[in-house]
Amino acid sequence: MDAHAVCYYTTGINPLNSKTMSYREKENLVNIFSGLLITGVYAWMVYQRQLAGQIDLTVNYNKWGEILLIFMGISIVARIIIYIIFHIINAIATRGEDIPKEDERDKLVKLKATRNSHYVFSGGFVLGILALAIGMPIYWIFVAFVVSGLLSEIVDNTSQIYYYRKDL
Amino acid sequence: MGKSIIRTYIRKLRFNQGEMTQQQLADEVDVSRQTIVAIEKEKYSPSLELAFRIARVFDRRLEEAFWYRNGDQTK
Repeated sequence: MDAHAVCYYTTGINPLNSKTMSYREKENLVNIFSGLLITGVYAWMVYQRQLAGQIDLTVNYNKWGEILLIFMGISIVARIIIYIIFHIINAIATRGEDIPKEDERDKLVKLKATRNSHYVFSGGFVLGILALAIGMPIYWIFVAFVVSGLLSEIVDNTSQIYYYRKDL
Repeated sequence: MGKSIIRTYIRKLRFNQGEMTQQQLADEVDVSRQTIVAIEKEKYSPSLELAFRIARVFDRRLEEAFWYRNGDQTK
């Protein structure tokens, strides 16, 4: 089975008939990559500090709060910068084509995607609680927060791309 | 009870309106062209308000632009 057939049978989308990517699809792709990039870089930096002995996240739980709050701030600023760059590149590539306004179908797509992402985040939270219940270290709950937060965002954006490609 | 579907005559109405484009219709009713595409393909059922707005563009009654078909019905 070739890649086209795999794509068709797993998503129901025939890549040979696929349309050019719409603004919303591009926006969601940028969201996925920026989420992965920002979280990946920040997690790597925090991990390096942990390895260097500057912090000990296995025992200092207050530090998790500080790190997550800083992460939220960095994430917002980084996303704004990435969005500006995306809009500039998109405007050049589409020769200043208008950004489509959000209509009722966009809202429905977002609603369904948010539902899917909440399932993933709730699942991650339950797994974190289960990890505590079976005797895993307490810091695992924070790891579960971060991982399920990232996964839920990916699921949110991937769901939107899927619904747009399927024409809902 | 089977899957219910809102069927549409939009494509025909656009043709009768001097080959009105999907983008023109989308601009008239204030939605994206992709939404008009999805409605025409009967993949997306518009809200009642949007359905009325679309029918009004063609100066038709709602049931002349859309009709309801229950999935159980054969015709």
